[in-house]
Amino acid sequence: MADSSSEIKVLRLQLSASRRRVWLVSGLALILSVAGLLACWFNPEIGTPLRPGLDFTGGTQIQLERDCGSSCRDLKALAVSDLIRTVELPTESDQPPPNIRSPRVQLLDGGESLLLRLPTLSAAQGQTLIAAVEPVAGPFVDGGQAVDTIGPSLGRQLLRTTLISLLAAFAGIAVYISFRYDGRYAVLALVALAHDVLIVCGIFAWLGLLLQLEVDSLFAVALLTIAGYSVNDTVVVFDRIRERRRQDADLSLQEQVDQAVSATLTRTLYTSGTTLLPLVALILFGGSTLYWFAVALALGVVVGSWSSIALAPSLLTVWDRSGDA
Amino acid sequence: MSRYQGWFAFVLALAIAAGMFLVRTPLQLGLDLRGGSQLTVELRPAGEITSVGDKELEAVKAVLDRRVNGLGVAESTLQTVGTNQLVLQLPGEQDPTAAARILGDTALLEFRAQSPDSEVNFRSLRQLQSQASAILQLRENQRSRGETPEPLNLETLSETLAELGVALPSGDGDAQLKTILERVDAELLTLLEPAALTGKQLVSAGRQPLQNNPNSWEVTLNFDSEGAESFADLTKSIAGTDRLLAITLDNRLISAASVGPQFKNAGISGGAATISGNFSAETARELEVKLRGGSLPLPVEVIEVRTIGPTLGAENIRRSLQAALSGLALVAVFMVVAYRLPGVVAVVALSLYALFNLTVYALLPVTLTLPGIAGFILSIGMAVDANVLIFERIKDELRRGNTLIRSIDTGFSEAFSSILDGHLTTLISCAALFLLGTGLVKGFAATLGIGVLLSLFTALTCTRTLLRFLMGYAGLRRPGNFLPQGQLPTKAA
Repeated sequence: MADSSSEIKVLRLQLSASRRRVWLVSGLALILSVAGLLACWFNPEIGTPLRPGLDFTGGTQIQLERDCGSSCRDLKALAVSDLIRTVELPTESDQPPPNIRSPRVQLLDGGESLLLRLPTLSAAQGQTLIAAVEPVAGPFVDGGQAVDTIGPSLGRQLLRTTLISLLAAFAGIAVYISFRYDGRYAVLALVALAHDVLIVCGIFAWLGLLLQLEVDSLFAVALLTIAGYSVNDTVVVFDRIRERRRQDADLSLQEQVDQAVSATLTRTLYTSGTTLLPLVALILFGGSTLYWFAVALALGVVVGSWSSIALAPSLLTVWDRSGDA
Repeated sequence: MSRYQGWFAFVLALAIAAGMFLVRTPLQLGLDLRGGSQLTVELRPAGEITSVGDKELEAVKAVLDRRVNGLGVAESTLQTVGTNQLVLQLPGEQDPTAAARILGDTALLEFRAQSPDSEVNFRSLRQLQSQASAILQLRENQRSRGETPEPLNLETLSETLAELGVALPSGDGDAQLKTILERVDAELLTLLEPAALTGKQLVSAGRQPLQNNPNSWEVTLNFDSEGAESFADLTKSIAGTDRLLAITLDNRLISAASVGPQFKNAGISGGAATISGNFSAETARELEVKLRGGSLPLPVEVIEVRTIGPTLGAENIRRSLQAALSGLALVAVFMVVAYRLPGVVAVVALSLYALFNLTVYALLPVTLTLPGIAGFILSIGMAVDANVLIFERIKDELRRGNTLIRSIDTGFSEAFSSILDGHLTTLISCAALFLLGTGLVKGFAATLGIGVLLSLFTALTCTRTLLRFLMGYAGLRRPGNFLPQGQLPTKAA
């Protein structure tokens, strides 16, 4: 082993000196996020911390690709919703047809596709509605339609299983880190993780308030991914701190942490960068289905890098000192 | 050095085998990528069964399996989900209306004799039923032609209604007619004796057009020996009387027929019967499919229908592939710029990684969905991370003045613990998501989990083998291929 005194550091970070600023940034971000979640919650129109999409509320969503040729006929969303109000739906199994007086109509991709949001319709009722809309908004691309009908119980089930699996994942990670490192590292890794997930949720709460953006089941998948990524990111930094503590036991803890973070800084930035590249590609080319999914992941990667470079190691210096005293 | 040549040959052979396998076995694409319909049904406890267990779920699945096969959609799959749900996937099917109807009905078929001394009542009820449904049909036809039907005057029916003890319901014309029909259905059932025979004794069902009217169809039935006996007994008991043989489906009378006096002695034997109840070719086929599949032990409800067109699916896959490839290309450029020779090695190793991933998808097989592709793209990020960790360590060692070969070996062994920890924590999350999650969460966890496992293998084996193999060539064995000259310690230091 070469002696570490002759090391040439390319990047050097005095983390411990500026840790108050780190906490200020993270604290502000957290306060803003919680404010966003609360604002959503107390908004009478929403009533939940995030604006729930079709996957959670139940209902029918119809997406229609318009066959435009060279250019699309001008279409007003209002004209379509007025038309839908007049449609008479066939009854199904002796139940009165659902009330479709307040449909939500959106034009996507510069008017090339049409998104309808309605109460739960049966398959036959959905087809009736598409046929009724076609004269005004059509012609539609053959095979370019997607009809999703989801019962409200399914959304609750999805939310429940997602939360349970997330908690199980947390517990598993905590056990693993306690086993490989010690309890302190496990707690801090989970703090960093909660910080990342909360901030991304907060941003989407604000997007829900400002842009009426709804979260779907893909958002739940994104949160799970962010959780996994955040821990992976933090663990590598922790691994280096542990190594420094073994090799340079006589240095102060702050110095050890600074050295470890500096040594892994290039790696963390490179890895975040290379993970962001495919995500940016997805945002640019991935189409509307995965757009917000990729946005959520990209935000998670950025916030996750911040928490593993700055937040988690700086918290370690405080906790460890008070533990020693 | 020969050890690395052996590994190199192994990796090469593996890559060729994977490539050949992948060419022959196409990847399975999910419905969101190739279009089709997906229906989810949930079992509802009913009657004596108060909670739904595995046994009930399996019984319902067996019946629905037969019905779905009767539909004749290629490659349809029916899977149980959780404790009380079934998911039916119909690739390529654009109109799930028929499928929803086929899944939803209990299809409880019963043969019942009419109770004695109920002939008059029964006949007037049947008459009322046919009148009411004829008017309803007429009005619907008018509507489908774009005409507005005249307001209804149901006074003509009121006398018959009063006779039967049915009050004229309120509401507009159509609602009134529907209420009348419901009441009539319920009244008719009270005039029938308990079921002597059910669809359980059915061996097969078929359909054929009526000889005198090819637009009207009838459904033919064949019973097993026990059923044939019951059917003979049943027909014998009412042969030559005015009592009718009633056939009910899901507690609705669909057909009633008289049995001629010639069957007085032995009943209708041979175990064959037909139901003629004003069927079109389509409705006859649906009834046939349901009867063949048998009746459901529990009622089910369709709680989710998702349909996506093939163009929309193709569009999705094209865009996602484009994104994945351009993202990968950017990562490759970045790796070569940042790490020089090892960067090139990493690009080769990551290409192998992608190849192995796809091969495992085809082998298992994993059905690729949009979240699955997202998981794949993300796992590439993790695989790159492993390479970055190793190369950063190698650079560190070189900056400290170590020899090249020694730096490479130390780099790999030093990076190992952090790679292992990072990958294992991700793997733990994947396991939790896969075991506890549903649907798209599962698909995502599967591809990410496979990706993480393979990434451990490629980073620690492929990258290392390739790097050590290339170090066998003196021309490549220069620190300048790893680091810019300025960052190397001078020999004197």
